[in-house]
Amino acid sequence: MDSWIHPALFFFVGALLLPLLRGKAKKGFILLIPIAAIASVASAQNGIYGVYHFLGVEGVFGRVDKLSMVFAWVFVIMAFLGALYALHREEDGHHMAGFFYVGSALGALFAGDYLTLFIFWEGMAFSSVFLIWYRREKKSIEAGFRYLLFHVFGGLLFFAGMMLYYHKTGSLAFNSILPANASWPEYLILAGFALNAAVLPLHAWLPDAYPEATVEGAVFLCAFTTKTAVYVLARGFSGFEILAIMGTAMTVFGVCYAVIENDIRRVLAYHIISQVGYMVAGVGIGTAMAVNGAAAHAFAHILYKALLFMGAGSILYMTGTAKLSRLGGLYKYMPLTMIFYVVGAVSISGFPLFSGFVSKSMIVSAAHHEGRIWLMSWLNLAGIGTFLSVGLKVTYFAFFGKEAAEPLQAKDPPLNMLWAMGLTALLCFLIGVFPQMLYALLPFPVEYHPYNLAHLSEAMQILAFTGLVFYLMVKKLTPEAKWNLDVDWFYRKGTLLFMKFDAKVIAPFDTLWGELYRTLGLRALFKNAELSYAFDRKAIDGVVDGTAYSVMDFGSVVKKMQTGKIQTYIGLSLFLFFAILWLVL
Amino acid sequence: MNVLKIIEYLRAKAASLKIAFFVFLGALVLLDILLPREDAHYFVDKIYAFWTLFALAGCFLLIKISKGIAHLFLSKDEDYYG
Repeated sequence: MDSWIHPALFFFVGALLLPLLRGKAKKGFILLIPIAAIASVASAQNGIYGVYHFLGVEGVFGRVDKLSMVFAWVFVIMAFLGALYALHREEDGHHMAGFFYVGSALGALFAGDYLTLFIFWEGMAFSSVFLIWYRREKKSIEAGFRYLLFHVFGGLLFFAGMMLYYHKTGSLAFNSILPANASWPEYLILAGFALNAAVLPLHAWLPDAYPEATVEGAVFLCAFTTKTAVYVLARGFSGFEILAIMGTAMTVFGVCYAVIENDIRRVLAYHIISQVGYMVAGVGIGTAMAVNGAAAHAFAHILYKALLFMGAGSILYMTGTAKLSRLGGLYKYMPLTMIFYVVGAVSISGFPLFSGFVSKSMIVSAAHHEGRIWLMSWLNLAGIGTFLSVGLKVTYFAFFGKEAAEPLQAKDPPLNMLWAMGLTALLCFLIGVFPQMLYALLPFPVEYHPYNLAHLSEAMQILAFTGLVFYLMVKKLTPEAKWNLDVDWFYRKGTLLFMKFDAKVIAPFDTLWGELYRTLGLRALFKNAELSYAFDRKAIDGVVDGTAYSVMDFGSVVKKMQTGKIQTYIGLSLFLFFAILWLVL
Repeated sequence: MNVLKIIEYLRAKAASLKIAFFVFLGALVLLDILLPREDAHYFVDKIYAFWTLFALAGCFLLIKISKGIAHLFLSKDEDYYG
């Protein structure tokens, strides 16, 4: 096939046409756009499409290969599920922001060069921020601005790296980079990518912004930005040891915060860091099995994390809060939401028969295969924290536990939201039962069988005994209505402290300096002026006057030969001229 | 609603569920001990019920350390940032 319609195009054009439609036609159109994109991805053949030339650089809009396709598949499926979940929203702008966001993410996936990638990369940041702002609360507006500033910073790192890379190699082609060849340009690009993947310590934008987004917007946000970053890391930086280490650190860091957080969406947001950590670690380990695992885990993760955000969003939508300390006993009022949330929770925890089991274990097994037992142990520790926080803590304290103090008169959310959750839950189950469907999409051939005895035993021991510890220590885990600090403190409170430091130390110093200048500086200036004046009168004026008198004398001489007194004026003029000149200078 | 009835029924049988859970845990450990270990290369594969011990210790420490650090200096009032 020679021509192919880029799936992003459907989203961009669809977003622009959306405001022209009304009523049911609009709702149908919102669902039709992702379906058209799914058809476009299904029809794609491997190859290079949409080559263009700009300022002497060759750009590629459509690089279709196995690595970009596995992400594209899950992106368009997720776009459909997200659009279905958000179908009840009335504002066109919200749907348009979602479409521009998904379109930009797809544009970034298929980009074959850094320039094209950069344009869509920025497009993602600028469209997704509206999904935060549309919540229309003061906190969301502020969080949105911080989100945007942080991503602009990341974009600048990427841009600086890209320019230096062009200077170094004379090309902007986006291909795999060998760790041995990497220097400043590559590491700057890596830092820009790592920021979007929420790699420590560039992660704080994520738990800051996502929990402040709209109920529907968070479902989109949790899927695309971090996973696009995982894709570009897998494309460009597989085998970078620093990613293996930082990714593993992320997995444990994320679950530690998920254990102590109170707001369900903050638990889930921190947990994204943990899950993306697995993928980053997989990319860092860099073997075919590990990169396969990263791609498979991204695929599975997008679905179950979206499902969890849908569940948490439904709770927020129906009860007005997502804070565990104010929830409890919801199973009576929102039974379907509970079932779908639990499917998401067992999927993310890696229960056999659900998607996490067949994807996460690929990365853990890859670490095991490479003899990296410490990495493997840390990844399994994060697995414990996953089941503990997202699986047990949230499920227990939101849906069971003590009845909330204020009676919750909630019920299950609107039909479109239930359908979206149901379909997503079904996919999580299908991937778990038929992993070959997912493995067939992966970039490298798969020789991995998740359902073997050793792995089943390992997974079941970890899950069951985590359950036992939860049962014994459940009181310790009671959610507290608190806010936990993170590194965003440095730019949220640190800047305020700097302002105080400015007011208390720098400003008084400035005043003191002013005083010093007024007393000492001005006195010196006056003295200097006096001296200049004396010099002016005695030395300069003498010279000038002397010259003038000479001219006058000369004039008197001339006068005798002339009638009129013009020469006197010339002398006077000269005198005035020098006097003015002196004053001005 | 059926789901509600099932949950209420299970809640009423909490004591039996507890016994079933403990039996299940015991069975898991037993199974791991009986598992063939011909291609075990590393200590995580060789030690009997390694992941049981790992989960017990890991989960306990994860709760203790996370909550400990939170109480030590991470936890602030909900409106800390205003």
